[in-house]
Amino acid sequence: MTSHAQRALDALKASATQRAAAHSDMTRIVVQVGHCSAAVGADQVAKALASQVPDSSYIVTTGCDGACYDAPRVVVTSPDGARSTFSGVKTEHVGRILGSGGLPTQYESADPYVGQHRIVLDGCGEIDPTSLDEYLLAGGYSGLASALAKPQEKVIDEVKASGLRGRGGAYFPAGMKWESARKFPSPDRYLVVNCEEGEPGIFKDRHLMEGMPHRIIEGALIAAYAAGVHSIYIYINAEADLSTERMKQAVDQAARAGIIGEDVLGSGYNVSVTLRRGAGGYVCGEETTLLNTMEGDRREPRLRPPFPTEAGLFGRPTVINNAETLASVPVIMAHGAAAFAETGSEKATGTKVISLSGALERPGVVEVPMGTTLREIVFGLGGGIIGGKAIAGVAVGGPSSGILPDSMLETAIAPGMLHESGVMLGAGGVIALDENVDVLEAVRSLAKYNADESCGKCTPCREGTPRMVDALDRLLSGAGSPGDLDELRGLAEVVGAASLCGLGQAAGGPINSALHFFGDELAALAKG
Amino acid sequence: MEVAGWHLGIPSSEVYGAATSYTELSTSEPASHVIKICTGLGCRANGSLELLERTKQELDSADDGNVAVEEVPCGYMCAVAPVAKWDHEWIGRATIDDLKAIAREATSI
Repeated sequence: MTSHAQRALDALKASATQRAAAHSDMTRIVVQVGHCSAAVGADQVAKALASQVPDSSYIVTTGCDGACYDAPRVVVTSPDGARSTFSGVKTEHVGRILGSGGLPTQYESADPYVGQHRIVLDGCGEIDPTSLDEYLLAGGYSGLASALAKPQEKVIDEVKASGLRGRGGAYFPAGMKWESARKFPSPDRYLVVNCEEGEPGIFKDRHLMEGMPHRIIEGALIAAYAAGVHSIYIYINAEADLSTERMKQAVDQAARAGIIGEDVLGSGYNVSVTLRRGAGGYVCGEETTLLNTMEGDRREPRLRPPFPTEAGLFGRPTVINNAETLASVPVIMAHGAAAFAETGSEKATGTKVISLSGALERPGVVEVPMGTTLREIVFGLGGGIIGGKAIAGVAVGGPSSGILPDSMLETAIAPGMLHESGVMLGAGGVIALDENVDVLEAVRSLAKYNADESCGKCTPCREGTPRMVDALDRLLSGAGSPGDLDELRGLAEVVGAASLCGLGQAAGGPINSALHFFGDELAALAKG
Repeated sequence: MEVAGWHLGIPSSEVYGAATSYTELSTSEPASHVIKICTGLGCRANGSLELLERTKQELDSADDGNVAVEEVPCGYMCAVAPVAKWDHEWIGRATIDDLKAIAREATSI
């Protein structure tokens, strides 16, 4: 039997198909504009294309496909399906792209998706993020329709069975979080979509919001339905203007189409979605700090328990999920938990979106199955170090994690610790350092970041993080002594043990990984 | 801050606490033009420290102190490193020449 939601979705799709028919015999010109590609001229290219486009073609502005090294990129698809991709496009190339059916071959590039497994990012850089029609025709919102046709417990069971864990860095099982908020008695509950993404070296949530806003919204709606939530807040970083613009457009479109609001897709379920902006700071992405920020207080974490699923936003049970986590949900509902769980490793199902940067030939955003090795990511997808230079180390997981040496690149990505010294996958940042970068200077820069961003609530973190930087400075300036190594070791332990939130608990990460992997270099400095 | 406190019915010390807690908020008036250079690890690996050094030498306090050069920990566009920001506009794969050209256009340098 077809459910109300499925019938409502089919009707939306039917009218989308009709509207799309108007373009069926035209050439489609996609220009990929994200916040990064705009910084290298993609918005100028889009303007130039729009001003010169012939009647036989139409322009679509999409998010990016993740091949940032080749940005700005333009993809031309003729009505017969032939496809040409142009990389490193400048405004002066526009005439040639439009004129010849466009083939200045020197600008053509290879398929960037080789070696990837794209579930969350599927369609990023291909479909128009500002068009609900294009998302519907790509199978969008079918996960939501399927969820709404099931009892809430069944949706939670399905997500539990898929093994989906939070992609923000803590890897808590998503289904359990929803269940816990759902079971806690309360007149109302909230869902907060964490798109704060204030971690240096990470840009995947922005990439997703700019390229596939509807997928995040669909995931959020499914999560909200399952957890018994009727108010969703989407919390976006203060600097991510383009992300906010595209998310806002997507929310408005979904509301107009009856996907958000009263009686979602005729199912009888009601839900509202509100966008909120942050005001800056690494610690704001920490979930209880994020709640304080939304309530207008200082950016400081809260004591747990009570956990947010018991008393979160405005004291009500609150589910807080990362954008990438929620973007994994529609595919689970549309194709089933078993299909999702086929990808990944024994320890962790699904994929991880990796923000790849540093001294690489091909930096960008890629999606790989859990269990992929760092070597495949850095040398396979990332193309290796620029100019074939030697690799000095790989910073994985941001300032709360640490730096791994070349010898550890066979490590497979997985939730939690990648190495006992404290290196973890975190939100999936991978920064390759070449021989021109002093690894210990890099460690100092991570430690300095933690010291600057410490909110000051817990004394060990507030006072301890600058002391770690001081000790590193003494060592790096040649004034170090063996006592500095002991101090670093001690501080890392105390700050980690006596801090409330993840920032403090993991602030010793860079130090510990340096002591473990680059201990000889540090010891040499300690002798002076 | 006192007005905000009066309006919200809370002590201005609490407003001060929140106002000084966020990196996007400032309690002093900024220079007319601010150049921010990212010195996160991804940018460092692509020469941002050298870029910062040269920008400081050539543009800091330029135009009678109307231009200020600052360091930021991350611009969140690491894949087009090194990145810099002129006021509200980001520049990817930035060079000192890019920054000088923009500065010349916007000021009387």
